[in-house]
Amino acid sequence: MDTLFVQAVVNGLLQGGFYAAFSAGFSLIFGVMGVVNLAHGELIMLGAFTSYWVFAYFNVDPYLSAPLAMALLFAFGYLIQKFVINRVIEQPHIMSYILTFGIHLMVANLALQVWTHDFRSVTTSYSGYNWFIWGINIPFARLLTFFLALAVVACLWFFLSRTETGRAIRATAMDKEVARLMGVNVREIYAITFGIGAAITGLAGAFVSPFVIIYPEMGLGYTILAFCVVVLGGMGYMPGVLWGGFILGVAQSLSTTYLSAGISVAITFLILFVMLIFRPAGIVGKGTVA
Amino acid sequence: MKTTMNHPHGRMRFWIAFGAGSVALALVPFLTSSEYVLRIVTVVLFWVGMAGCWNMMSGYTGYIDFGPVVYFGLGSYATAIAMTKYGVPFFPAVVSAGVAAAAIAVPMGLTTLRLKGAYFAIATFAFAETMKQVALEFDRTFRVSFFEGSHGITLPISGLDNTFFFYCFFAATFAVMLIHYGIEHSKFGYGLKAIHEAETAAEIAGVNTTGIKLRAYVTSAFFLGIFGGMEAYWITYITPADVFNVHKTVQMVIMTLLGGMGTFFGPLVGASFLTVLSEILGTAFVEYYLIMVGGIIIVIVLIMPKGIVGSIKDWKGIRFA
Repeated sequence: MDTLFVQAVVNGLLQGGFYAAFSAGFSLIFGVMGVVNLAHGELIMLGAFTSYWVFAYFNVDPYLSAPLAMALLFAFGYLIQKFVINRVIEQPHIMSYILTFGIHLMVANLALQVWTHDFRSVTTSYSGYNWFIWGINIPFARLLTFFLALAVVACLWFFLSRTETGRAIRATAMDKEVARLMGVNVREIYAITFGIGAAITGLAGAFVSPFVIIYPEMGLGYTILAFCVVVLGGMGYMPGVLWGGFILGVAQSLSTTYLSAGISVAITFLILFVMLIFRPAGIVGKGTVA
Repeated sequence: MKTTMNHPHGRMRFWIAFGAGSVALALVPFLTSSEYVLRIVTVVLFWVGMAGCWNMMSGYTGYIDFGPVVYFGLGSYATAIAMTKYGVPFFPAVVSAGVAAAAIAVPMGLTTLRLKGAYFAIATFAFAETMKQVALEFDRTFRVSFFEGSHGITLPISGLDNTFFFYCFFAATFAVMLIHYGIEHSKFGYGLKAIHEAETAAEIAGVNTTGIKLRAYVTSAFFLGIFGGMEAYWITYITPADVFNVHKTVQMVIMTLLGGMGTFFGPLVGASFLTVLSEILGTAFVEYYLIMVGGIIIVIVLIMPKGIVGSIKDWKGIRFA
């Protein structure tokens, strides 16, 4: 096999880990509440900006300040769900799409006013650091994010299957009426779920800050990518984000290498479209189907 | 309670009001000498028509289409390519743009309309984004000169004044509103509403749900193609990023929601209100405009989820069409 091909696949897998990291929260929120969170990218943006400011003022490494981003985003997500989205949660889902789109517009444009349109980046001592193994180039920061993404998905999986709150969340996702009868405070669980979804998304935003460009309008592109990843993996099926992330990452990387970057975007959406028609439950068939 | 419009008197009153309003609107170019006012009214008509296109499919059936802009964009490109590369005159070009959009909508509708809820929304969104990228990259990838990529296409300068375009949009929007009237008073319309209420039950009751959804989808695509073609000729310059812009979709959705989904007056009220509002806010608060729009959307969803028309109906017990 030639090096170019292997390099493209490695890049794709690393990219896929990055995709999985920021899509897990989207999948969780959809799986439990049926809310397609169109303000998802803004959570990544806020997480990345938290790391950026901590780095800029206190010179703390983004991987170390990530828990702060996580805590802030948990609070943000919890409050938004408790005081805003919970009010429309019993209505048709279209309301939540439109509501979260309103939140997207507000947050992105407020951030634009406060932080201006400057492109920012977190340049750490290891930002340009690469490993060469058998002629394959592996960027250090991306590899670290890759493993952290796997750890996040594993922790989330553990949390949902082994803890009391996790069980309550799964019960609510399966049947909220029965969960309510069993003494689960459904609205509180919704707020916690959105908080957790926002927290891991903020964490992902902090993790990716060493190698992406940070600016207030970065969100929408990530929301769209998260859509694709989650549909590929199966909506609401947590480990599916890894499948979705890897498939999408490798497909994009190969098409960028052998065709062109613009076509790779078209291919992304083509894959998404074809998947929705033929395998709406995701590549491993474990997602929820409307 | 039956709607007042079904009552003979109600129907008569409706036609008088609707006819008078249309005639008054048609006289606007003679009543004002201000190009600015004429242009605003034209933009309002344009958005009423666009929102109406979305409403006739998604508003009535509850199938949330997040990619209607694709037919607008295809209409723009069909018109631009027909006029610049084949020298077709404007009107045949626009009609063929509508037909082309409708022709593409048939296979797309047959595949996507089997999906439900968020899946339909995402599939339509994905299709629109795919077409945008195709328009952007087709020429470079296949080394041809067709869509002209990100350079866009400049249409022949019409030399026609705003009055011409006012009547173009007036005619198309009028047609869209007539179709809304038809929906409110036909078996087809009851079918659409039945799909919204309970699709499986409608199917069991003998409604050809797929056929009805497809008819609404294709009709909507036809008019979107026409609007796209007319706007392209009005603006005279199109690029993929512009005519396939997701913000056009968002505007259509929000205007309809604001006015009231699945109602006759919904798109009319919502689009007029939001266009005029954005004209005022957009000039007065350029920097904060989008923050305000975001806030307005949140407030509408929270305090009047049925839109302006729906809320008035609830408060007053008044039945419009």
